Amino acid sequence: METCKIKTLENNERMSTQQLLQTIYAKIEEGYTDFEIDACGQHNIGGSLWAREKGNKLTFKVTNPGQRVGSMAMAGTKILVEGSAPADVGWLNSGAEIVVKGDCGDTAAHCAAGGKIYVGGRVGTRSGALMKHDPKFNPPQFWVLKNTGSFSFEFMGGGIGVICGYGCDYMPSVMGERSCVGMVGGVIYFRGKIADVAPSVTVLPLDSEDMAFLDKGFDNFLKAIDKESLKQELTDYSQWKKIVPKPLNEREETFSVADFRRTNWVEGGIFGDFIEEDFRVYPLTTTGEGRLNKPIWNKETCIDCKICLNNCPQKAISECEKIYSSDDTKCIGCGICAAVCPRASWTMHSNIREIS
Amino acid sequence: MCRIGAIKSKKYLHPSVSLKLMRSQQKGHDNSGFAFVMQDLGGIFEDYKDLPTLSMAATVEGTRRAEDILHDLGFTRVLQWTPDVHNEKGLKIEPMPNYIFETFKYPKSHKYATKEEKEELLVETSLLLRKELEKDNIGYVYSFWPDVLTLKEIGCPKDIGTYFGLWEENDDLCAKVITAQCRQNTNYDIVRYAAHPFFLDGYTVLANGENTFYEKNKLFQQKLHKGYIGFESDSQCFLYTLHYIHKILKWPLEYFKHTITPLPFEEIERRQDKDVLLRIKASLGHLEINGPNSILAVMPDGKLLCVCDSKKLRPIVVGRDENMVIMTSEVTGVNDLMPRRNISQDIYPHEREMVIVDNDLTVRRWQQ
Amino acid sequence: MAAVGVNELHKDDLPWVIEYDETKCIRCGKCTAACSFGAIKPVVEERRKSGSIAQKPSFEKIVVIEQCVSHSNYCRGCGMCSYVCPNGAIKPVRNKDDRYSIRYRADKGESLKKGGRSNLNTEGRTLDKIKIGRISQMTDPSLDATRHTFELRTPFGRVLSADKLGLENSNGKLDLTSSLPPNRWIYPVIMGDMSIGAVSWRMWEAMAIATAYLNEVLGIPIRMCTGEGGIPVRLLKSKYVKYMILQIASGHFGWNRIIQAMPDMVEDPAGILIKIGQGAKPGDGGLLMANKVAKYVQEIRGVPKADLLSPPTHQGLYSIEESVQKMFLSMNAAFKFKVPVAIKVAASVTSVAVYNNLLRDPYNIVGGFFLDGLAGGTGAAHEISLNHTGHPITSKLRDCYLAAVHQGRQGEIPLFAGGGLGQTGSLAADAFKLICLGANGVFTGRLLLQIAGCIGNDLEKCNACNTGLCPAGIATQDMCLTKRLDIDKVAQNLVNYFVATDLELKKLMAPVGNSALPIGRSDALVTVDKHVAQRLDIQYVC
Repeated sequence: METCKIKTLENNERMSTQQLLQTIYAKIEEGYTDFEIDACGQHNIGGSLWAREKGNKLTFKVTNPGQRVGSMAMAGTKILVEGSAPADVGWLNSGAEIVVKGDCGDTAAHCAAGGKIYVGGRVGTRSGALMKHDPKFNPPQFWVLKNTGSFSFEFMGGGIGVICGYGCDYMPSVMGERSCVGMVGGVIYFRGKIADVAPSVTVLPLDSEDMAFLDKGFDNFLKAIDKESLKQELTDYSQWKKIVPKPLNEREETFSVADFRRTNWVEGGIFGDFIEEDFRVYPLTTTGEGRLNKPIWNKETCIDCKICLNNCPQKAISECEKIYSSDDTKCIGCGICAAVCPRASWTMHSNIREIS
Repeated sequence: MCRIGAIKSKKYLHPSVSLKLMRSQQKGHDNSGFAFVMQDLGGIFEDYKDLPTLSMAATVEGTRRAEDILHDLGFTRVLQWTPDVHNEKGLKIEPMPNYIFETFKYPKSHKYATKEEKEELLVETSLLLRKELEKDNIGYVYSFWPDVLTLKEIGCPKDIGTYFGLWEENDDLCAKVITAQCRQNTNYDIVRYAAHPFFLDGYTVLANGENTFYEKNKLFQQKLHKGYIGFESDSQCFLYTLHYIHKILKWPLEYFKHTITPLPFEEIERRQDKDVLLRIKASLGHLEINGPNSILAVMPDGKLLCVCDSKKLRPIVVGRDENMVIMTSEVTGVNDLMPRRNISQDIYPHEREMVIVDNDLTVRRWQQ
Repeated sequence: MAAVGVNELHKDDLPWVIEYDETKCIRCGKCTAACSFGAIKPVVEERRKSGSIAQKPSFEKIVVIEQCVSHSNYCRGCGMCSYVCPNGAIKPVRNKDDRYSIRYRADKGESLKKGGRSNLNTEGRTLDKIKIGRISQMTDPSLDATRHTFELRTPFGRVLSADKLGLENSNGKLDLTSSLPPNRWIYPVIMGDMSIGAVSWRMWEAMAIATAYLNEVLGIPIRMCTGEGGIPVRLLKSKYVKYMILQIASGHFGWNRIIQAMPDMVEDPAGILIKIGQGAKPGDGGLLMANKVAKYVQEIRGVPKADLLSPPTHQGLYSIEESVQKMFLSMNAAFKFKVPVAIKVAASVTSVAVYNNLLRDPYNIVGGFFLDGLAGGTGAAHEISLNHTGHPITSKLRDCYLAAVHQGRQGEIPLFAGGGLGQTGSLAADAFKLICLGANGVFTGRLLLQIAGCIGNDLEKCNACNTGLCPAGIATQDMCLTKRLDIDKVAQNLVNYFVATDLELKKLMAPVGNSALPIGRSDALVTVDKHVAQRLDIQYVC
């Protein structure tokens, strides 16, 4: 069948997006597979479509599409935009080959999970965001000849980004600012300088597998955007690096506050002039100097009945030749000795609790 | 979200180009209105560039009252232009009875007045007119300024174009700077005053966005200048801030960007001008904006400028050739008007950038 | 137990009774050893062995734990006994029949004192009736709290209106041409404001360490206020003093050492806070009971061991103009006009008048206005002040902000709000709401103690900070008790809490779509209470 040509603007009457898409559906039902669409900003051109005959391919040559050209597009669909396209090119692309020879607006390749998106110019902010890779299918590829806007590849979960940085030597970053925030999967190859990347990702040199992938990919990419002459310049892999998310276990060692006190804080503590601070911590019940109270024995009243000796829960009291004593290293100052003593020979007294 | 556009040209352009600029971007707005401001006027207004032109839409009573006020103040009319309206059946438009575009001579008292004094008079007068017409809801005063013409209406942009005969080009009505927007209002009532572009004291601003610091901006601006009124749209805040920074404080234009979207502290700390930037951030913290925005402006001297929010959450593109520069939301509009331009010259302004178009169409990109 | 007369203090009069199960008790003595209040003691009880009246009665003596009944030793419900009991044999239980507050006054002829917060929280918290109801849904995007960047800083110090900055345009760049009042960008939460003396040296040092760590390691520019009890010279002379806001209150404690240290200071302090009043006990001066005036406290403050009562007012201040001149001018001059000077007052019906006066500030020396609401805490106060004086923070903060709006001067004198923040556990929620209502930031004190391990609450639990017998080692100068406190753990807990708070603040900024602090963004708030809506000028929703 011949190519189906659709003009969307007659006089001052513009075909709406719905009218255009309905026309395309009808033509596909008639068996058309090749379209040339002279658009006027209509949205969603080329998406979620398949040819009437199984196995046939759909092709769209589009001028001046609106947003989301090739969104939800499927394997077997090829979309070619000669000039530039606005936002959301290839959103949720699930298998189409989408070529934009000019620039793309913001969020190009957003959530793409399959297919290939080839861009002969620049792409806007948040491009490549949330790309994913469903292991049942080939990973999505997103090739950009020049550069991306800021916040690119945010929350990326899988797939492959290739940012060639062509003609971008003057730029501080071919991926804008704060790229790859929240990136957890996939890989981004880039050529040239980049600014800050999120702390959760790491920048590595290419290995031979990477280079083989790029080598093969460049042939298709450059052919699609009519820039085959650039291959030699772009395949000097010494200018390339890749970004991958850090593995989960590669977390940074934390510097505890205790370490900070020991190494950075005022030596001996800020109260060191007044207090001999040993930083020891007493439990709620303790022995020795940390006790709130301590028993004192009175020889005069003691009748050597040994009740205290038997009742002391810490076995702190001992008797030697009718002299009773409480062992400071055992006594917690509970007061049981004083309570059970029939003659009040044990009395409890506050320990020395004033700090010196 | 709405779609906005600004065109600056070496040759006079008919306002139909603004309809064509916005046409392909129709999906991005809701067809609820159309408004444009023309500056650097040609055609029948060309010989009156120094005299103020009143743009308003009013009832008969409103028209009479406005003319009485101007008369009492000593303004004398030198030119009147009324669009031929085509009230075809089925047009989606809610027209006002009268559309007034009249040029006046300054009162005698201002014969030897300085430019500043004349500007002051025009601001005072437009505020007075607005107040008087608002009382009985009898009309809307959009601009009263030399070499500026404003039209705002509720309805479908295409139909508004048809109603005012704007699709047919003619030489009566043309300008070298045209700004336009195709949506009546964002989240508030449909009010004519709420339609961009907004105009004050020689400054024109239109925006595509959601200024989530509207409340803060508004409370702060209300006390800054008598002309900061209305607030029917959160985007008016951008006009007032631009006016305040540039006209009242007389700061260089770049500080508009520093005020509305200050750099992160981390970056300010590394800069030589950090003391200045931190002071501005503290003093004008209530003029900071948040939320997604792209903003276009025409300065009193005819320069265009464009800035975005700090996360670049709304689209904007600049396309150009030797005779014309277009700034608009989506590249489709540029493609329609300048299909053969060199697209590698297009600029996609980013979150840290201000793009300024000088009167000779030189495009400067300033990095914050 | 011996019989008591009806006029004598009885167990049933006390706020807490000890619930003790003798059959579970193994008489290990840990509970009595741990009780810092001496509220329980071991005693020997004599019991009849056999139940039958046909037999000759025989008796046995056993050890049991008995609750003490006296004004000097009574149970505060802290529960340390149950912490240490291996068998769960003992715990304090709230006494429904409590009439202690009557008994104490009747027996002693003194006013009742306590620490902590007001325990008369009958009205519920206004802040809890406010929700963040303006969520970014389609109109504008929400942000991602963990992955986007947020600017959590607020100006501290006098802010001049833009036209008074004296900026001059030289070749398209603005330059500062005059010296401007000091202004610092700090985290919107200020911690501390509790004196050395009111809290133990370990607690105080832990707060200082946490502050330093948050700044130096985590980059959270939080500031700590010293409270009115001086500041150790070692800290004054260290670089960390730059994170400290020095306080001066009516007692002027500790300032001799600050002045002496000035020539040796390597950094300027973060600011100075003039304390006029405190939300927990407005109109009262500071109160430090003698039992907490340890030797080092005496030294830093320059006083002997005695009850330290700061006067309710700064001596020698006749009027608000006087305050501005004497306190603000002098405190500005103390550090050569390089350090912001702010003032803290207890929220009051008069606060707006005060703020209006300060806003005029022709000398550019007023660097901040701290408003302390009635739910704030204290180390020691008369219960009558704690429970019955003061003004809630929320509406007063809002009034002050709107007063500034009315003058077109919002932001010129930064507003900080405090008093009972974090009372329900989340400081971030309270802070965020107050910021939306117009606060530049908030301050918090009592909450820090709870983070550190204070078990007190606003339901009559413990609140014995005034006794110096704090079982957690926080509000005490007792060596044995203080050493219960682990500096490193406390500092770590404080750090952790603020890391969580930082994230939670972002979790509130993100859904309203703001990456910068929404100071005054009251449109983000809604309330389910009509009166609150009307009073605060926010949207009523149901």
